[in-house]
Amino acid sequence: MPEFFHRKIERNAIGFVLAIVGVASIGGFVEIAPLFTIHQTVEDAPDMRLYTPLELAGRNIYIREGCYACHSQMIRTLRDEVERYGPYSLAVESKYDHPMLWGSKRTGPDLARIGDKYSDAWHVRHMINPRDVVPESIMPRYGWLARNELRVDDLGEHLAAQRDVGVPYTQAMVDNATRDAYGQATPDSDAAAGVSERYGAATQVRAFDGDPSRVTEMDALVAYLQILGRLTEAPYKQQSTAAGE
Amino acid sequence: MVRLVSGMTVTERQIALVVLLALSLIGLAMAAGGRGDPMGAQGFVVLVFSVGLAFAVMAGYYAPEPDESRLTRYYDDPTKVGIVLTVIWAVVGMAVGVWVASLLAWPELTFVDQAWASFGRLRPVHTSGVIFGFGGNALIATSFHVLQRTSRARLPDQFTPWFVLIGYNLFCIVAASGYLMGITQSKEYAEPEWYADIWLVIVWVVYFLLYLRTLARRKEPHIYVANWYYMAFILVVAVLHIVNNLAVPVSWGHAKSYSLFSGVQDAMTEWWYGHNAVAFFLTSGFLGMMYYYLPKRAGRPIFSYRLSIISFWGITFFYMWAGSHHLHYTALPQWVQTLGMSFSIMLLVPSWASAGNALATLNGAWHKVRDDAVLRFMMVAAVFYGLSTFEGSFMAIRPVNSLSHYTDWTVGHVHAGALGWVAMITFGSLYALVPWMWKRETMYSPKLIEVHFWLALAGTIVYVFAMWNSGIIQGLMWRTYNDGGTLAYSFLDSVEAMHPYYIARAFGGLLFLSGAVVCASNVWLTIRAAQRERRGETGTDVPIVAGAMQAGE
Amino acid sequence: MEIAHDVVVAFSKSWGLFYLVGFSLCVVAYAYWPGNRKAFTRAKMSVLDTDDRPLGDRPLGPEA
Ligand code: HEM
Ligand code: HEM
Repeated sequence: MPEFFHRKIERNAIGFVLAIVGVASIGGFVEIAPLFTIHQTVEDAPDMRLYTPLELAGRNIYIREGCYACHSQMIRTLRDEVERYGPYSLAVESKYDHPMLWGSKRTGPDLARIGDKYSDAWHVRHMINPRDVVPESIMPRYGWLARNELRVDDLGEHLAAQRDVGVPYTQAMVDNATRDAYGQATPDSDAAAGVSERYGAATQVRAFDGDPSRVTEMDALVAYLQILGRLTEAPYKQQSTAAGE
Repeated sequence: MVRLVSGMTVTERQIALVVLLALSLIGLAMAAGGRGDPMGAQGFVVLVFSVGLAFAVMAGYYAPEPDESRLTRYYDDPTKVGIVLTVIWAVVGMAVGVWVASLLAWPELTFVDQAWASFGRLRPVHTSGVIFGFGGNALIATSFHVLQRTSRARLPDQFTPWFVLIGYNLFCIVAASGYLMGITQSKEYAEPEWYADIWLVIVWVVYFLLYLRTLARRKEPHIYVANWYYMAFILVVAVLHIVNNLAVPVSWGHAKSYSLFSGVQDAMTEWWYGHNAVAFFLTSGFLGMMYYYLPKRAGRPIFSYRLSIISFWGITFFYMWAGSHHLHYTALPQWVQTLGMSFSIMLLVPSWASAGNALATLNGAWHKVRDDAVLRFMMVAAVFYGLSTFEGSFMAIRPVNSLSHYTDWTVGHVHAGALGWVAMITFGSLYALVPWMWKRETMYSPKLIEVHFWLALAGTIVYVFAMWNSGIIQGLMWRTYNDGGTLAYSFLDSVEAMHPYYIARAFGGLLFLSGAVVCASNVWLTIRAAQRERRGETGTDVPIVAGAMQAGE
Repeated sequence: MEIAHDVVVAFSKSWGLFYLVGFSLCVVAYAYWPGNRKAFTRAKMSVLDTDDRPLGDRPLGPEA
C-alpha cells in the first residue's frame, strides 16, 4: 500500500524527513563506503614516502593561496595527458593527501609531475613574477612568499594532527618537526642531517629560495613543488607508454 | 532596527542578548587563543559582529512588546531582512565575479602586491558569495515566506527565524573574510574551516527544527510540494556538510585542520558533496521557490502536481549517485565512474519533468509572459534549468567528459545553471515577493525590472557562449596531434587562445552585474516608498489595512 | 576485504535495480492513486488563495 504509506509519512513530518534521508543516502553509501574497505582501490607502493614538515608547510601554502583553483594534480588515463604531463596518476600517490588536491580546472597546467622538471631558481622567479619567465602566462604574482618568514614553531602540532587522521608520522618526526623544517632549507646547519635520517636519503635538502640564511614561505612552497610526483616511483615503473582508451 | 526588535517579546529579546553575549565570548576566546594565527583575526570578526548586534538589540530593548494580535498575521520581518541581505550579497558576490573574470583576462590588474588581493583568494569569495551569500539568503528568506503561506500558520516564535538568518550570515562573513586571510580547506564549495563548519551545523539544526515546528502547526493536512523541496534542501545539505567536513584541527588555537579523508576516498566524498550541493542547494531549494512563486505570479495552478511529486523523488534519489562523474578517467575505480555516469543520464528525466512542468504551467498565459518581466524571469529560468541539466547529463558521459573536464566548458555549464537558472528564478521570485512584503501594488519601477531582465539575459548568453567556445577550443587544443604523432599545441598556446573569450566573459558578467545593481536600486526605492507611504498615511508602524491588502496581484 | 567490493557491485547490479524499480513504482502509484486526487487538487489550488493570514484558533482571527 504505497499510497497509504506515503500519505502517512507525509502527514507526519518526521516520517517524511526520515524518508528523504533514507532515499538520499543510499547512493552515497553504496559508492563511498566500499572505497574505505577495498584495499585494491589503492595500490601498494612500498617506497611511498611522507611529506617532510617543510613540504607539508609548502602544501599548506599551496592550499592557502588557492593554487588548486587553477591547477589540477591528477593526470587522467588519456593518451594526450600522459604524453603532455607524464604517467597517469595512481590512487596511491595521494594516499597521504589530507585533503586531496586533484582539482577540477586547468587554467594552468597539471602539476602532478612538476617535481624536478624545473630548477629551484626558475620556480622562485616564476612565483615572484610569472611573466618574467613565461611572458604569456596569466598567473598572479606571489611576491610575498619570498618576503614572509615561514612559521615553523607549530609544525609539530601539524604533524601530530596528520598522524591523528592516519598518516604514519613517527614520534621522532613529530618531536623534531620544527628542527627538520629549518634543517631542510638550511643545508649547512647541524639540523640538516636529521632530515635525511628521518625521511630518507633521497630527501632534497637545500636552500630552495636561494637564500640559506632564512626559511621563507618560498622555501616551503618550492620544496613542495619539487616533490610533486616524486613520493613514489610506482607510476613510472608500472606504466610504459600504454595509456587508457 | 528598533522596529525589528520591537517585533520580539521581551523574553525573546533577552534570549537574543544572551546568545549574542555567548557569541562574543566565543569571539573573544578565538581572538585570545588564536593569537599569532589567522584564527585570532577571525575571532575579532565574530566579536565585532556580535557586539554590534547586541547594541542594536539593546537600542530596541525598551520598545513596547508586540501585542497578541501579531498572531493573526504572518511573521515576515526576517523575510524582509533576508531579501535585503540577498540583494547585497548578489551585488558583492557578482562584483567579485567580474573582478576575478577580469584578472583572468588581464592578470596585471591586481593593484597591490598583497596576498588578499590575489586571484586564488578572491575566487572562493566569489563562489561562496554568490552561492551561499546570495543563493542561501534567498532560500532562507523565501522559505520562511512559503512555509507560512502554504501551512497557513505563523512561525512558532520570533527569535528562532532571526537566529537562523543572522547566524547564517555570520557564517558567510566568517567564511569570506577567512578566504582573504588565506583560511581555506581547499574543498570546493566547502572551503570554510572547522569552527565555521561547526557553527553552520548549529544554525542548520535550528533551521530544520523551525521548519518542523511550523509544519506541526499547519492547518492544511497535506504538505505543499514546495516545502518538500525546501526540506530536502535543508536535510540533505546537513548530511553532506557534516560528512564532507569531518576533520581534525591542528589545535584549538589554529584555524587550520586536516580532513579525515585522503586521496581517492576524499575525492569521492568531496564530489559526492560537491555534486549534491548543486543538487540540493542550487536545484532542490530553488525548485521549491519555483513551485510557489511561479503559479502564484502567473495566477495559474502548477500544470501537474503529480509530476512535481514524481520528479521530487527522482531528483532526491538519482542525484546522490551522480557525484563520481566529476572524477572520470581518474584514479577512482571504474565501476564507480560508470555508476555515476548512468545515474547522471537518468537524472535528465526528473530534471526535464520539472522544467517541463514549469513551462506547461505558463502555456496558455503567454500574453502574461510577454507583458510581465517578472514572469519572464521565471520562464527563462525554467528554460535554462532544462538546458543546463541536459548539458550536465551530456557532460557526464565519459568520452564527452574527457574533453570537457578541466576546461572552461565546465565553467560555462556552471554559469548556465547559476546565472540562467539560480539567479533568474531568484530575481523573478524577489520581484514577486518584495511588493507583497512591503504591502505595495508593484515594485517601485516596473520599467527597471524590464531593464534588469534584458541585462541579465544578455549577460548570461554572452557569458555562456564565451565559455562554451573557449572550453571546447581548449579541450580540442590539448588533444590535437600533428601528422608526426606529437601534440600540436603547447599548453601556453591554449592559454593565449583563451584571451578574447576571457574578455567577453568579463563583459557578459559586467552586464549581469549591472542588472543586479538595477535590481538593488529598485528594491531599495520600493522599500523607501513603502515607508514614506506608511508614515504619511498612518503615522504608526502597522500595515495600512491589515487583512484587506492581499497577497497576489 | 575484496569480498566487500564484489558484494557491493553485485548488490548495485541486482538489488540496486530492484530497489530502483520498486521505489519508482511506489512513487508513481502514490502520485496516481485515485484517492489522492482530491488532496492534490486542493494543494495545487491552495497557493492561489489570496487570503494572506494564518488560519485558525487565534484570539483575534477574523475568518477561519
Ligand atoms: C556577474 C556574474 C558572474 C561573473 C562575472 C562570474 C565569474 C566567474 C569566474 C571568473 C569564475 C572563475 C572561473 C575559473 O576559475 O576559470 C567563476 C567561478 C564560479 N562561479 Fe561565477 N560569475 C558570476 C556569477 C555567478 C553566480 C550568480 C553564481 C552562482 C549562483 C556563480 C557561481 C560560480 C561557481 C560555482 C564557480 C566555480 C566554477 C568551477 O569551479 O567550476 N557565478 N565565476
Ligand atoms: C541533470 C543535472 C546535471 C548533471 C547531470 C550535471 C553534471 C555535471 C557534470 C558532468 C559536470 C562536470 C564535472 C567535471 O568534469 O568536473 C558538472 C559540473 C558542475 N555543475 Fe552540473 N550538472 C547538472 C545540473 C547542474 C545545475 C542545474 C547546476 C546549477 C547551478 C550545476 C552546477 C554545476 C557546477 C557548479 C559544476 C562545477 C563543479 C566544479 O567545481 O568542478 N549543474 N555538472
